[in-house]
This record gives sequence, structure tokens and C-alpha cells, in this order.
Amino acid sequence: MKEIRLNVNGTEYDIAVRPHATLLEVLREDLGLIGTKEGCGEGECGACTVIIEGKAANSCIVLALEADGKEVTTIEGLADGGKLHPIQEAFVEIGGLQCGFCTPGMILSTKVLLDANPNPTDEEIKKGLEGNFCRCTGYTKIIESVKVAARKVRG
Amino acid sequence: MRVFYRRLPKFQYIAVRSLDEALAFLAEHRGKAKVLAGGTDLVPQLKKREIELPACVVDLKAIPGLDVISHDRQSGLVLGALATINAVGQNRVVEEKFKALSQAALSMASPQVRNRGTIAGNICNAVPSADSAPALLALNASVKIKGPKGERTVPLDQFFTGPRTTVLGADELLYEILVPNQDRASRGVYLKLSPRHSMDLAVVGVAAVGLLEDGICKAVKIALGAVAPTPVRAPMAEALLTGKVITQGLIDEAARNALTQCSPIDDHRASREYRCDMVYAMTRRALAHIFGR
Amino acid sequence: MKEYSVIGTRVPRIDAREKVMGEAKYAADYSLPGMLWCKVARSPYAHAKILNIDTSKAERLPGVKAVVTGKDFNGWTWGFMATTRDEPPLAVDKVRYMYEGVAGVAAIDEETAEEACSLIEVEYEELPGVFDPEEAMKEGAPIIHAYRPNNVSVEYHWNFGDVDKAFADSYIVREDRFETGRVVTGFLEPPASLAYYDPSGQITVWAAKQSPYFHYRHLAGCFGVPLSKVRVIQPYIGGGFGGTKNDSVAGDFCVVMLSKKTGKPVKYIYTMDEVLTTCRRRHNMTVYNKMGMTKDGILTAIETKVIGHGGAYTAIGPLTMFLTGYGTPAPYRLPNYKYDAWRVFTNNPVSAAMRGHGFTHTRFACDIQMAMIAEELGIDPVEIMMRNAIDNPKRGDVYRAVNGFKLKTCGIKEAIKAVAEDTLWADRKKMPTEDGPISYGVGISGTGYHGGARQLGHQACAAIIRVCEDGTVNLLTGATDCGQGSDTVLSMMAAEELGVRYEDISIKRVDTAYTPVDPGSYGSRVTLLAGQATQLAARDAKKQLLEAGAKAWGVKPDEIEITNGVVSLKGNPERRMSFEKLAKIACYEGAGAVILGRGHSDYGVEEHLDFNNGTGEGGINFSFTSQTVRLGVDMETGKLDVTDFTIAHDCGFPLHPVSVESQNEGGAVQGLGQTIYEGFIMENGRTYNSTMLDYKMPRSTDIPTIKLINIITDDPDGPFGAKEASEGSIVSTPPAVIDALHSATGIWFKELPVTPEKIVKGLKEKGKWMK
Repeated sequence: MKEIRLNVNGTEYDIAVRPHATLLEVLREDLGLIGTKEGCGEGECGACTVIIEGKAANSCIVLALEADGKEVTTIEGLADGGKLHPIQEAFVEIGGLQCGFCTPGMILSTKVLLDANPNPTDEEIKKGLEGNFCRCTGYTKIIESVKVAARKVRG
Repeated sequence: MRVFYRRLPKFQYIAVRSLDEALAFLAEHRGKAKVLAGGTDLVPQLKKREIELPACVVDLKAIPGLDVISHDRQSGLVLGALATINAVGQNRVVEEKFKALSQAALSMASPQVRNRGTIAGNICNAVPSADSAPALLALNASVKIKGPKGERTVPLDQFFTGPRTTVLGADELLYEILVPNQDRASRGVYLKLSPRHSMDLAVVGVAAVGLLEDGICKAVKIALGAVAPTPVRAPMAEALLTGKVITQGLIDEAARNALTQCSPIDDHRASREYRCDMVYAMTRRALAHIFGR
Repeated sequence: MKEYSVIGTRVPRIDAREKVMGEAKYAADYSLPGMLWCKVARSPYAHAKILNIDTSKAERLPGVKAVVTGKDFNGWTWGFMATTRDEPPLAVDKVRYMYEGVAGVAAIDEETAEEACSLIEVEYEELPGVFDPEEAMKEGAPIIHAYRPNNVSVEYHWNFGDVDKAFADSYIVREDRFETGRVVTGFLEPPASLAYYDPSGQITVWAAKQSPYFHYRHLAGCFGVPLSKVRVIQPYIGGGFGGTKNDSVAGDFCVVMLSKKTGKPVKYIYTMDEVLTTCRRRHNMTVYNKMGMTKDGILTAIETKVIGHGGAYTAIGPLTMFLTGYGTPAPYRLPNYKYDAWRVFTNNPVSAAMRGHGFTHTRFACDIQMAMIAEELGIDPVEIMMRNAIDNPKRGDVYRAVNGFKLKTCGIKEAIKAVAEDTLWADRKKMPTEDGPISYGVGISGTGYHGGARQLGHQACAAIIRVCEDGTVNLLTGATDCGQGSDTVLSMMAAEELGVRYEDISIKRVDTAYTPVDPGSYGSRVTLLAGQATQLAARDAKKQLLEAGAKAWGVKPDEIEITNGVVSLKGNPERRMSFEKLAKIACYEGAGAVILGRGHSDYGVEEHLDFNNGTGEGGINFSFTSQTVRLGVDMETGKLDVTDFTIAHDCGFPLHPVSVESQNEGGAVQGLGQTIYEGFIMENGRTYNSTMLDYKMPRSTDIPTIKLINIITDDPDGPFGAKEASEGSIVSTPPAVIDALHSATGIWFKELPVTPEKIVKGLKEKGKWMK
């Protein structure tokens, strides 16, 4: 067991983790943050997407130890108390979700995309979300949601 | 018994702070240690029990300066072992002066994987379809390796020895990739063929870098991925073009010739026949692209 | 057009907030104190006798609390029909498909359970396997189930009219062989369940099930526990699409048995690899289709022979093979029809239901064959469709298909007209057809799919409306929202019927201890059948409220109306009160009352399904879809760029337009995947591409621009005129894509998936490659 410090959604956690524990497992099972999902477990589907030091990553293939001392954002870190983040608002308004399982990862990838590119084209949105798999929506309303989110974020 | 593993196997972990420290651990564990950079190949392989269980995983990411991407007129482009695929692919100099490499990098996997995976890792993992390999081969890259006996520089076209095998010893580390400056007027491209528009391995990957002057090919390098046990150059095709006036017919001939320098297999991703046909089609396309036809 | 207060509006999904916040809990998100983890150990052989299982080493591993094998289930098996209960929770005397479950371990953590599985020693006697159905039907083939010595799991022979005479009198007759692909639902959430078998003998599970009541019956049967003591609590579900999550899997039974043995809660979660190798898949089918037409392109007869690749167990196969033939007489008039179908066992993973169940295979064949004949006859494709399309019956009339099903509405002609007039088809000759190596093509299809599946008595469903004392409303149904949005639609229906606002409805998640039975999400039945139950329950509650209001105002109940939460007198709207006030009056006046409305779906099954003869009513109405597709074929590499879809869908009336659109978009993209990208590569029972890298489902960069057109037909049998809006576009997409491929390449591709490699092969055969 190794002691690490994780900064998740602005809160610091001092926890002991095993070397072979993934960041996803530690988030879900040690910290009780079940918003981040496991789909494929091998970095193909993006359901486990979190933001580490401002960059999107598949937490299922990141060791918890690799996140020691790093700032991690999960889906739980977006809303401000009960107030939804503009991206979350957009997804609700447009209906950019059905079963919701891909949604946390999709929203975080959207945040990273819009942080770097506040006014993306459809093609840029599709490429920016290529690491996030969705089976339900056919992506169409997700892309619409991202465009609405971009307008909201730009203000 | 067939078990579908959700959890990683148990291993020890150490974060080293220098190359020498890393080498010391590799030597100590005598081949039973695995190097961790981005983890985007290593961690899935461990999870699926595809590789032998390492006693120790050695994390390089705390080594300062190993992620630097630098460029100058003398050394050319220098990529540290920890330079991520996205950092390389989105680098201004790489986009402008080493286009094939930028295209190859940005064609790989997803933003999430590209943020953590490294070019060095892509090369060391050495699957025949590794996208950065054909681009680096066509750019005449070499790698710098450090081990207990000291340092050596290996041209990339001598680095790969077979599927997933390289000249890198179990007690050695690849710490830098060197890409020499290309002629200002040279043009490069990486074309990746796969069924979907994202998230696929290349069925055929072709990189071409060439210099055309007054309609004559002054120099050209062609490299192919996913069609041989290792990524390969196509020197005979290159020879057909070098010093000649470039015509559509000559491009076609060179593309057909490229086929003779690879040995595609039948697997669940594609048949040998299709890969062969695609070597011809894609090489032709890549050459047409760089020679402006 | 009728104006509603809630129905037809673009309200946000009722569960959107929880989902975007990451607060929605799915099965894998549940934990209980003292919980153990379960792992299933699986056979490495596709067909083998189990001679001996030694679990002693596993049991001795520190942290292991219990191990179960097939024998622990005492010979219990389950299946779709009483005569086809051939599947055990874990293999007992033999394994019939590769990686079939053989044992289950419960341990203090998942790693220990995984390690223990690798310590279980099984002695197998490998048996010769058979992997192709036509091989499996031959004399001397290995027998997979003793009770089906010829390996034929299901066999039907239907005959309507006189096909032989019709073919003899036809101007043109075509015979073609088609193959649909080995594909899978592809839900993102792997199956998982947390089970607790408590000391009182009650079973509680939180399980990812889109048919929780099927699962509760399985558990009751398997464990000999009364239904009243089986509690299936439904978490949010990460996608269903039919098949696996309508059924039970090895892990489900193991966790309950292990909980019984250990007295602790036990949880399992499958991996995606496990899903793609061991869970249910869509049947892939070989369809031999024979179609006859007059010189004017009028359909005379269809004779279809289908071989369904069944895999190792029967599962829902009997229904699959019925539905595969059932829908052929729509959307085009068909006077003579013969259907012969065999579902054959093979030592492959089990084939079951999937979105577009059954119809997918034969509509694919028939639609393409019609286009082929149109080409041969020189008739415009839209023209030939319109000449044969069933007319929308006048109100009060009924169209009866040759095999007996009835249509009261049919919007196919309007749908075809809408896509034909849309620019994608109408201006296709003005759009570029070539751009470098890319050849563009445009294709069209016209299909139908039934909704409101209600084949047999055990499909009954009900709803309860509880009006709380403050005028807010609880809606309880057993209907499962597995992501398709049914909770939203049912809440809208309840609000509309009661006259309250959408925000005042709180629909509760399914819990078989408290919610009334509903068979679940499949056959596009929830909106239609659970919807009707919800409407009736709301009317029942409303009746009670109106009686209370009538008493309070001294009027007759039918003089009062409720709209948008306001209760008023029809004749004198100034006499009004809030719905909240009415609720308080009803609950507290006099002796007080509890306002509970009850309703159950009373769509009778006038004509029972007769699987053997192909008659009966499979559902309550049919949706109709016409679709156009534009795509570019790289004529050198075979790679496809699908640029546009236009889809006109007749769902009767779109109750929640956002969901209708999302379902049409999602179904079309899923259908696209199954046409050009997806397909399991199998050899001797082994799946070679069981990862998301190599089982290629569409990603965001693969999708076309999708334009949707609603066709309104207001079906009298659907709640608020509705028909299904879940499966139409997965049926319409494959034939439209094939038609577009033909338009771009001149080649008819009849085997799915049409990969780039197949396209290049086809081009080479026609001398069209690398000109």
C-alpha cells in the first residue's frame, strides 16, 4: 500500500492505495464517486473519462499512483451545488443523452474541447469526441448539445 | 479456465527520478520489470494477461526534462521519451516541418489516449501497425538508447526486429528520438487506411517524404506499416523514383514495386489480398500527394 | 391537428438532470456492507463433456467464501417456452459454446475471486463441434442437445395463397441469397447485479435488466422462492436494445446462489470482452428469397426460406423465427406468401433478440430484391414502391394482410413521398457523383415494424397513479426505461390525462415488490401498452378526484375539467381551484380518502400467435419508415463516407418529439454500423474480435447528417395516436445503404457487413477497381 494525495474536484484526499489499483477503481470504490463509469476497461470507450491536469484521460488505464499530487476533475465536480454547468444545461435542454452511461465522460470531453476551442465546427466536435462511444443517440443530439454549450459558455 | 479479468494483477511500483535510477531498477529485476510512460499499451496488456507479469513497474514520468520537444537547425527535431502523442502531433514545428509525423500522431486512437501515450511508447511497443513508425522511418529518424554499457544511437530502420520485438535490451531504455531536418521544399504525408474514421488500427499505413525539383525526384522515402512483421521502408521503390522525372506512370510502377518489399498476412482485420491491393493503392496515393499530382 | 398541453411538447427528459450530474446509479454503482465479489469461470472449449470439477484449491484460497458449479442448481433450466427450457445457469454435464460459464466464486474482493477462478480444475472431454447451421443439419453432425437430434431448434412452415401459381403467372421472378451479419446490441454498460438472499428467504437484486419481471420469474423458478419474495430493483440501465438484458445470464444466478450460501450480499460485473464473447447476439440469418412481379412491377408472391444461426441454446428463438416471417406482408401488398424457417443449433454464443427483431432480416432481403427487380424492369424505384405500398386505410377501415395481421393506419406512401421530394433524393442527379476516387450514390428504402408486442397472456401490464395529498403525483409501473425515454413519455401521458403539469409527475423506478407487473422493454411495447395502462390509471384517479370536486361544488363530475393544474367548471370557467386544492379536498374531506388510480393494458389478444402457421397479431400497430442515404465510396480502398440520411417515420403521433428524433437517429446509426462495420469473426466457436477496437461500432466521426420528417397518421389503437418509434430506423437503414452502394458502384451487395474489403473484391470482380 502506498499513501497518495489526490485532489479531486477541489477536495484533497489522503488515501492508501495498492500499486495495481486504477484511478477509476479508487475514485469509485475508495472515494465513492460513482459518476465515472466503467465500460470497456481498456481505454477504448471513454466512459471512464476524467480530466487530469486539464487533459482528458481514460481513468481505467491510469494507475491511482500516477495521479498522486495531480488535480483530477470528475463529473461530480462540474455542477456548482445544485446549479448545473452550462454544458450540463445544454445536454439537458437538447436531450443529448438517452441511457446516460456515456454522459459523464462525454460531458468532460466536451469541457476539455471547449476550453481549448470555444467555437468548434461540427467536424471539430466530432473529432474531439471520437474517444467517447455512444450506442443510444447516434451522436446527433450530442453534437447539437455541444454547439449549444459552446454558445452558453461564450456567453 | 477462462477468466475475463476486470482487475490488474499485483505488481510493485516505483517512480524514478532519473534515467540512471530507472536503469538500475531494470538491471536489478533482470527483465522482470516493465517501463511505464503513458500506460496506454502496458496497462491494457496487463489487465488482459497478455504479457508476463512484471515484478515491478517503473514509472518514468517523474524524470525531469524527459518530455521536452525541441528543434534547432543543427540537431533537427528532438523528442524526449515522455513527449506525448498529442504534444508531438500538435506541436507547431512538427506540423510545419515534419508533417507526416504530425498526421501520424493525430491519427492515433483518441484524445484521451493521445494525452498520455508517448511516441516513444508507440515505437517500443512495436506492433507492425504502429502509426508513428512509418512516418519516423520516412523522416530518417533514429533513437537514442541508454543501458548499463552506455549509450548508443540506432537508426530507426534497424530498431524493429519482429512483431512486438526490438533491439532494445531488457536492461535498456529508449530516451530520445531524433528526426533530422528535412529539406525545406520536401513534402511529407502519412495515410492511414482503416474501415472507420476513428479508433481503428491501420490496415495499411503509408508514409512518404520526398523532394521534387523541376519535376525530378531528388530524394524520396517510403515507409509502410501493418504489412510486414515490422514497419518497413520500401528502398527499391524509392530507387525507382530517385533522380527520375516523376510521371503518373512512374508513381504507379513504384507503388506496385512497394508491394514486393512487404509481406502482409491474413488475420481477422483484413486478408492478405486486400492488404496487398491497398499497399499499391495507398502508396500510389501518398506519392501522388507529395509530388503534387 | 389535436392540441395537447404536454403531449407533443419538447420537455426535457425526466431523468436528464441525474444523468448529466453523474448522480444516476446503475447496477455496478450499488454496494452493501459486507459485500462479496463474484467472478464466473468459463470453459475454454466450444463443445465438451464435463467429467469432473475440482474446486478445492479455489475454496482454500484465503478470502474465498464460496464456490458454485452447475450441479448446485439441481437440474433447473429455463427458456422462452415451456417446451424449450434447455439452458442451465451454469453448464452441468457439458458445455455448448466457448466460454460458457462453468463455476462461480464469491470472495472478499474481485481480485481474489478472479484468482480463485484460475484455480478451479475442470476435466473435459472435448467433443467435435459444429459451427455452420447447414453442416449442423446434416446426417451425422455432432448433436448439441439430445432433445433435438437433428440440431433444429425451431422449424416453421407457413403457406398463404398459392405462391407456385403466382410465380408461374409472374412476368419476372428473382431468387437471391442474402446474409445478415453476426452483430450485437453493443450497450455500453456491461451486465451487473448485486444480490442479497436474506435469512428470511427473500431475494433482493439490483440488476441491469430491461425486463425485471422476466428475471424475477427466473429467480423464483430457479431458487424455488415465491414471487412475492423475489425483489428485483431496477437501477438506471446503460442501454438495452433487446436480447441480453431482457434475459438472465450466468452471473445473475451465481450471485444469488452465492449469497444464499454465504449469507452476504454478492455482486458481479461483466467485462466488455465477456459481453462480446458470451452474451446474446442478434441472430444472423441466411435468407433465400424468391420474389415475383408483373410486368408493371406489382408484387405477386414471395417465398422465403430462412436459416437462423441459433447458437448453443434456444432462448427466444421461437419468437425470433416467427417475427422474421411475420412482417413480410407489409409495407407492400402481398397476396401470396410462403415461409419456411429453420433455427439451427451451433456451438456458438447464443443468438437472441435485438432491436428490429426478426423483421430486419427479411425486410432487408425483400426491399433489396424489389429494387433489383425495378432495375431489371426499368421502373423508377420510388414508382415501384408506390405501386405496391399499402394505402393508409380510411378511418374505420382495416387492412388485413395475407397472414392475418391488421393495419388501421399506414403512412408508408406519405413517408416515401416525403423522402422522394426531399432534396437528397429529388436533387440527387444534380449533386456530384464523383470526386477524385470517390463515387457517390443515393439509395432509398421503405419498411415497416410492429409495436406493442403482446403475443401471449404473460405480457399483461399495469400502472398505478397515486395522487399525493398536495396534488403532486406518483406514477408506478413495471415498465422499464433502459434509456429509450419511456419514463419521460409515460410521465407526459399521466400529466396530460390528469390535466396537471409534467413537473408534477414523479415516476418511480421499477421495484417488483411495489410496482405492478410489466414484461419490460422489447417489441416497442412500453409507450403503447404501459402507456395505455398509465392512461387508464390516470383516468381512474381523475374520476375519483372529479367525484370529490363534484361533491364540493355541488355539480356533476362531467361538468368539471382540469387543464395545466387548474380545475374549473366547463360552463363557468371563473369557478376554479388549483389541482392541489382539489387533491386536498379529496384526501381530507369527511372521512378522507386515498386517491389511487389503477389501470391495466386491455388490448386483448383476439388472435393468439400461432407460431407454426404464422397467424395471429404480434402487436397492436405498425410504424412505417422510408429512408434515403447518400454515401461516397472510395473506389480504390472501398472505404465508405456516409454523408446524409433523410428519414421519414410514421409513428402515428410523436408524443415526445425529442425522444422520437433521438430514437430514429440512434437506430439509424446502429443500423449503419450493422450494415458496414460490425460483424463477429468466428472460427470453430471462437470470437476473434471481441474488443471495441475490432468489433467496430460507429464513432462520432462516422455519422452522417440526419434529417428527420414526422409522418402523422394518428393511430386509433395507440395512446394519443402513437405507434412505435424505436425500431423503424434500424430496419430501414440497411436496405437503403445497400441501395446507395449499388447506386455508387453498380453492385448489389447481399451479405452484411459490407466492409471495404468486400467492396474492393466486388469492384475487382466487375473489373472496376483501380481503372
